[in-house]
Amino acid sequence: MSQIKNMKQMEEKLQRADWKQSRLYLFCNFMALMIISAYSALMLSPTVQRVFPEGGDSRKQMYMIFVMTLMGCVVFTIYALGLFFRHKSGQLGILMALGASRRRLAPGLFREVIVLSGVSAVAGTIAGFPFVWMIWHAFRLLLVDSSDMVLTFDFRCLFISLLFLLMVVGFACLTAWRYLKRTNIMEVIREEHINESVKELGRWCGPVGFLALLAGAVLGYGAPVACHRWFHIYPPAWMSVLYAPVFVGLYMVMLHTVVHGWKSRKKNPYKNIISRSMMKFQGKQTVNNMLVITLLIAGGCFAIFYLPTNGISAMFRYASQPYDYFYNYQADQDVPGREEVEALGREYGLSFQEWKECGYVTLGIGGNDMIEEDEQRYHIEYVPMQSEAKVLSEDAYRVITGLEVDVKPGTYLNLTNQEETALGTNESAKEFTNMVTRRQLRTEFAGYLHYDLLATADTTCCVLDNGDYAQISEGLTDDWRGRFAAFNVDGKDSYSFANAFYHLFVSSFDETCERTAYYDRVQKIRENEEGQEYWGDTDDYVIISYESADSFAFRSFWVYQPDFRILNQNDYLRNMAVMFMMFLFIFIVCMITAMVVCYTRCQSIALNNRYIFDDLKKLGASPAFLDKEVRSQCNNVFKVPSLVGMFAMFLLFAMILYANDGRMVMTEWAAMGICLCIIGLIGGFIYAVYRAAVNTIKRQLW
Amino acid sequence: MLYVKELYKSYESGKNKYEVLKGIDFHVAQGEFVAVMGPSGSGKTTLLNCISCYVPFDKGNIRLGGMELAGLNEDALASVRNTKIGFVFQDFMLLDGLTIRENILVPRIVQGKVEREAEKQAEQLASMFGIGHILDKYPAEISGGEKQRAAVARSLINNPLIILADEPTGNLDSKSSWAVIETFNNAKTQMNATIFMVTHDSFAASFCDRVILLKDGAIYRQLEKWENRSVFQDQLLDAIKEMSSV
Repeated sequence: MSQIKNMKQMEEKLQRADWKQSRLYLFCNFMALMIISAYSALMLSPTVQRVFPEGGDSRKQMYMIFVMTLMGCVVFTIYALGLFFRHKSGQLGILMALGASRRRLAPGLFREVIVLSGVSAVAGTIAGFPFVWMIWHAFRLLLVDSSDMVLTFDFRCLFISLLFLLMVVGFACLTAWRYLKRTNIMEVIREEHINESVKELGRWCGPVGFLALLAGAVLGYGAPVACHRWFHIYPPAWMSVLYAPVFVGLYMVMLHTVVHGWKSRKKNPYKNIISRSMMKFQGKQTVNNMLVITLLIAGGCFAIFYLPTNGISAMFRYASQPYDYFYNYQADQDVPGREEVEALGREYGLSFQEWKECGYVTLGIGGNDMIEEDEQRYHIEYVPMQSEAKVLSEDAYRVITGLEVDVKPGTYLNLTNQEETALGTNESAKEFTNMVTRRQLRTEFAGYLHYDLLATADTTCCVLDNGDYAQISEGLTDDWRGRFAAFNVDGKDSYSFANAFYHLFVSSFDETCERTAYYDRVQKIRENEEGQEYWGDTDDYVIISYESADSFAFRSFWVYQPDFRILNQNDYLRNMAVMFMMFLFIFIVCMITAMVVCYTRCQSIALNNRYIFDDLKKLGASPAFLDKEVRSQCNNVFKVPSLVGMFAMFLLFAMILYANDGRMVMTEWAAMGICLCIIGLIGGFIYAVYRAAVNTIKRQLW
Repeated sequence: MLYVKELYKSYESGKNKYEVLKGIDFHVAQGEFVAVMGPSGSGKTTLLNCISCYVPFDKGNIRLGGMELAGLNEDALASVRNTKIGFVFQDFMLLDGLTIRENILVPRIVQGKVEREAEKQAEQLASMFGIGHILDKYPAEISGGEKQRAAVARSLINNPLIILADEPTGNLDSKSSWAVIETFNNAKTQMNATIFMVTHDSFAASFCDRVILLKDGAIYRQLEKWENRSVFQDQLLDAIKEMSSV
């Protein structure tokens, strides 16, 4: 006796029988929503929003990679849906051929796709939160923990997941409707066997693709720089189009891989002819998928390369600084003096040596400024009181650095780091201004001095002739005066002492110093006098608080943030933790997404070509031959996008590091070396997924 | 029973248009067993797909049991496919997730509720075609010949006006082919079924009352069986030979 009495029961039984096909679709949907929900939850969490500067490059990069990940998720969700319907179409076609009308099939089909898409999408969305929570807490447990890293969610992030969820369900329903609408039933039945071949181009397309890739990278990166340097205009938004050759080039490289492969066939034109043909006839989607995989792997590498390129130079800087403790403070602040610090040191069993102290003044320095003409255009104009500068006398410089210096009257020497890559340099100053008396000292640039601890990105630091210094600093009040102090520990340093001293140091400042290094008092005075409001008084970005002296924002931006070697070395990872963890998370998400796309693409190649593998078996192909064919198919999907994605990003990073100052310094070489090691590790991971995909396909095919 | 008049069908591939059927005219009477033969690309399967309303045709008329098929809406066409036509595919097209009994009953399930009477009819058809013992098995568990006989039983479950069969023996060995042709013969003799079959196999075609030879989308010749099967098969082979040499 038949257990099936009506259409609904039949559909339910068929769905149970097709569970394997549905499983891949469910898995892809679940993964996509989990990734989107986790990424958006973390990206929009107050924890991350607080740390990533608004309008800053790191935040833009985070958003950019999110868009790329979103694209990847859209691609593999749509693709998994396509696979699901390719299989489903045979069943639908048979039922249509046996007289089931659209109206009869529609309720069951829509119910099935809505349930499958909806349940997997909702489950994925929900799973995103424990997923991100687990990863974040694993980071905290295993890598680094700080007060900044307490993870909180802003549940408005669910809006993004909800949109994606609606897109998944909507697209599933649309696809179902498209299948039902088709009038050629034979096409529906044979859908599974239809090829998606790609238009063939000559063997030139691969090399030309690489050239386009290079041209796009150079043009896209170089054109905005040229805009600033030669034309003094802000690069217009359309200029991003100059990156377009990158995508065209990528497409051509992938197309070449799919259609021709990269090995010469002159000697043996029949070599790999079966695998090449199989690849070619699935070409369209394979090329599209390979493009997305490349972008995702490139995005992942972009995120993970951020860690060594930032970390190495900081670690090197800390290790090579000549003092264990180096700090400066405003003269009107009640900062602990030498006796007090030494007494604190004794509590920790420490004694100090090479104690150095000197005074400095903060003056207004003239310089070239970008004056906006309109929203697009600006010109460079000399402004007498452009910004603040910390100014030392020759004597003070000798005391604090132990180095000899001779500055001619009427000139100044500008401090920079050993590599001359520091940002706070100024070669164009014609005068210094005493901000209390408004007296000016005419001067001109006489060259650079190299001392890393005095060369900061935030404020220009200069050395004047002793006489000039005495003359210009006359009449300055204590809020425009400051002191540098430095000392070394006699023996082994103590983190506990450094931490205690740091908090004592911070707590000795009053609220007038509760500002960031970017808050420029000279610029504020000038702009206020011109009747303008200073940006630093309006932007939330510059607000920091003594209460969170251990936070990333405070330690990164406080104007008097000291350089305590042991504190910096130990806390570097902790201070940068949120940023690093976010980029590490982005890397994980991009790699998972890329690997899911690879895996589903390999699955679909196997599914679509299973008749060819059957035929090959019947024609006497050995297991070794079949094994080689499967590996060859998967190899193309995994290998080329991975190599192109990883090395394109490696070269881009090298280009950025070189373009920063027109050369590569030792720390940059070291960072690139670490990036190469990371590429090796990623390669190993991708190879493991590739092996798993090959083994799964082999199990499915024979 | 089935009237086909001035039937035209073409396919487009890129900028090229291929005329597959070029004004086909013929009719099939009630209870007649008719085969269509012809070389590959002659339009046999396209003709069958047009009659079964699986693919739309460009112009012409198809009348089945007095009903004009051109111009019917989707619902009406589905109803024709369900109640007036039984279709047998070359590769069986059974649903892998259902038992043979359930597969035979699919056209009834599509109609609505399956009554006890329908189940009885499925069992009768199965025993008539020698597959009564495999009713509770799944397609993956039975032979190709058994699958095709199950497909024939499925095509008959709604007592259609005509059975359309597309190379029903194409994927079968000779023993199974024989069993399937026997099945069609039984349907014709015991149920007065009308059968229209596309085939390459002159042995299978020799069991028919009439054979239509198709060449380049047009009817080349029609042959009727007046004498015994073996003589008819020889006549068919001669006609095919002649057609190939023209």
